[in-house]
Amino acid sequence: MKKRYEPVDGRNAEIIEDVVSFAQMSGVTQDLLFKIRLCVEEVEENILCYSGTTWVDVEVGVKGGCFTVTFKDGGIHFDPLGNNDPDIAAPLDERGIGGLGILICKKMMDSVEYRFEHGCNIFTMSKRLF
Amino acid sequence: MEVTITNDGTKTRAVLKGRVDTTTVEGFQKDIVPLMEGENPDIELDCSDLDYTSSQGLRIFLMLQKSVIARGGKMVMANMKSQVKEVFDITGFSNIIKII
Repeated sequence: MKKRYEPVDGRNAEIIEDVVSFAQMSGVTQDLLFKIRLCVEEVEENILCYSGTTWVDVEVGVKGGCFTVTFKDGGIHFDPLGNNDPDIAAPLDERGIGGLGILICKKMMDSVEYRFEHGCNIFTMSKRLF
Repeated sequence: MEVTITNDGTKTRAVLKGRVDTTTVEGFQKDIVPLMEGENPDIELDCSDLDYTSSQGLRIFLMLQKSVIARGGKMVMANMKSQVKEVFDITGFSNIIKII
């Protein structure tokens, strides 16, 4: 599945449902469906918050035994993997919420990658199906 | 997302039902306002029917926990589903919020 969302503002839920529907048709487990839904939401939130893009291309597929989602946007250069992970051992009064979404993706997916190519941010995450 | 809050005079119980995500987080934040009031609160969040939370939901739970501690109270999250618990575990939230 490959689809462009333009304008993208306010379409986060639609993107999530499109990816989840594709995953359901691909026969992924309920557990993986939960993880895919969550990670797509987190990546989309990041893109919409930081890149300022007006469009996002979302490509979803199963290849080499992996479920893969790629997001491409034309916003400002923003590497979501460029910051340190939040300190998850910090005490309550020092805990913030920055970086949690990407941390969730890193831990729930098998791989996450970012590159900036031809003026576009490209973020890919994948998870082995078996 | 539904939040049902009851109080038996000593303890406040909130039953959470549904998903805390990008579309529901704003309403959820409003729904829990009553839990942000009063001194020495004793709060139990029943998570039996909490199906999902994203990092936006974690932000609300963190805010609530900080508010409860600041008022000299305590809060527990009970009966959490395994997938939701995993989100709390991998982000370290299990260390700062009591889950039973």
